[in-house]
Amino acid sequence: MAGKSGRTISATPDKSLKKALLSWEGMLLLLFIAINILCKCISPVYNLTNVLREMPKYLTEIFLLFPMAYILLMGEIDISVGSTVCLAATMACLSSNAGVPFIGVILIGLLTGTVCGMINGFLATRFRELPTMIITLGTQIVFRGIAEIALGDGGSISLTNADGFRAIAGKVGPVPYMFFIVIICAVIFTVIAEKRVFGRNLYAIGSNSRTAFYSGIKVNQMLFISYTVLGLLAGVSALFLTSATYGANTTTGKGFEMDAIAMAVFGGISTAGGKGKLIGGIISAFTITCLRVGLGQINMNPQVILIILGALLICAVLLPNISQSISDKKKKASRA
Amino acid sequence: MEKKSLWKKITGSREASLVIVLIVLCIAVTIKSPNFMSAQNILEILKNNAVIMIMALGMLCVLLIGGIDISITSTLAFAGMTIGMMYKYNKIESTFLGFLIATAMGAVCGLLIGVIIAYGKVMPIIATMGFMYIYRGFAYLVAQDQWAGADALGSFKDFTLSNSLSFGLINNTITVTVICYIIFFIVLKWTKFGRSIYAVGSNAEAAEISGINVAAIKTAVYTIMGTLAGLCGALATSVYASAQPNMQTSKEMDVIAACVIGGVSMNGGRGSVLGALLGALVLSVISKALPLVGINAIAQNTIKGVIIVAVIVLNVLTQRMMDKANLENREM
Repeated sequence: MAGKSGRTISATPDKSLKKALLSWEGMLLLLFIAINILCKCISPVYNLTNVLREMPKYLTEIFLLFPMAYILLMGEIDISVGSTVCLAATMACLSSNAGVPFIGVILIGLLTGTVCGMINGFLATRFRELPTMIITLGTQIVFRGIAEIALGDGGSISLTNADGFRAIAGKVGPVPYMFFIVIICAVIFTVIAEKRVFGRNLYAIGSNSRTAFYSGIKVNQMLFISYTVLGLLAGVSALFLTSATYGANTTTGKGFEMDAIAMAVFGGISTAGGKGKLIGGIISAFTITCLRVGLGQINMNPQVILIILGALLICAVLLPNISQSISDKKKKASRA
Repeated sequence: MEKKSLWKKITGSREASLVIVLIVLCIAVTIKSPNFMSAQNILEILKNNAVIMIMALGMLCVLLIGGIDISITSTLAFAGMTIGMMYKYNKIESTFLGFLIATAMGAVCGLLIGVIIAYGKVMPIIATMGFMYIYRGFAYLVAQDQWAGADALGSFKDFTLSNSLSFGLINNTITVTVICYIIFFIVLKWTKFGRSIYAVGSNAEAAEISGINVAAIKTAVYTIMGTLAGLCGALATSVYASAQPNMQTSKEMDVIAACVIGGVSMNGGRGSVLGALLGALVLSVISKALPLVGINAIAQNTIKGVIIVAVIVLNVLTQRMMDKANLENREM
């Protein structure tokens, strides 16, 4: 039967350098280099080493990016993940102060995140009629609410014994351990998204969830797994965040969900699902971090940095749309 | 066609079931704390939640066309902070002018968002997320590390203390809210523009083919949302007698939650002004009632979140039951 089909599935993409550079990811890479040169020019102390050193402070959101990208690719969303980080950090700090050995603290942090993710996954798969935006809006309030109860009247907690957290904040030379874990996660998640059935199914679901379901893809199972993994990585993110702040409060992790979504979208992943590559999100995460560190070093007002990031985010989506509509018009004109 | 029984009408209409929820809620709280239903307390609840209630109207329109706007409280802070600073440095004196400036600023902010979403074809969540950062940043820049307190605001804060708009009948804040609700009720129910909003939300493509300018409607809706957010910026500054750059942060989620509890569909095309009003009322009664029934302040957010999740899940379950019943009763 092998030679029967006359169809050749020539899905081999055009791998010329020009094409690679003109893709969204290529442009992002150029932007990353441009921003590094810019930061180098405006700040004399800026270099990639101190970006790496600042990573736990600026880049704990990148853990959320990977599973968030999966969820966005399926056309869903999770805005509760910042609250999950808050709850996981709170539980980790509380258990650490209660004298639990550090390995237990890590497990409790990860478990809290995973359970939160499973709750989201459960609600999202059992009530498919509801947009995940609204489900996670509810759980966002609940998870942070539980953290508020656990933190009590003061609303904050600091570690009494930070030895364990200091250990995970350790470095090999200038490179924090966190960087290696980020790289490992990035490789695993990218390989799954690009080369494995699970990853390709993500795109199928994002393009058309119903057709994907009828063609035998276990949509609910994949949704549940993705939400659970997002919760788990929210736990990881919480642990590294705590290792940089030595405590937790009611505003821990606020806005993380938006940061993670912004990184993904800036990286070319569509919130409508089915479009974009994880690698773009990873490059954009590092680009944003470099920009933040560089602008922070020249003491720029953090609010101005937020304005720049907001404008960049909108432009990242707006500009391709405009160029698309211009080329569409040209095509129409040439046809006429 | 046979008439629907009263029971069917009540269980079939979302608004009616929300009214029942609201009444049960009020009775339960009144048993525990008898002066809950006093006129003064009710007015207090309405006044303190006017901002959420008014913005719920704009959010209703945005959700009706299948969009979402999470930048509203940033717009609110930007507008409120600007007029707060103007009063602080005596650039303006009159209360009316303050409201006018804030509302106009909101309209411009909304227009910009609308144009980018409707003509730039950017997903609403992304565009408004970007503007959430941008407008909040502007609010901080306007403030320049300062804030406008009660003494700086002068006579502006008296607006929400007096009853002048309704000739002494009722508080000004509530008058503004009521006027907004009447306008929106009429516009959404009986005008061409209002019905086009529903048409765009139900099926944008069909609306376009039937001659509705979808992009213009979308722009208009986001402009309306911005206008209301600007108006609420002035109101919030007056009600709380202070303007701070971080005012009402993350309250946009409360506004969305109010709409969703009120039965507004996030997929567009379904929802009513009455629903938005009831949703906002249920949320405000809950937040006022929780401390009265002896629930600790730190547990309030959890309870609120659980109630939101429970209401939307119950909504889905009743919808499923209704669909099933309809299927069974269908004539073959």
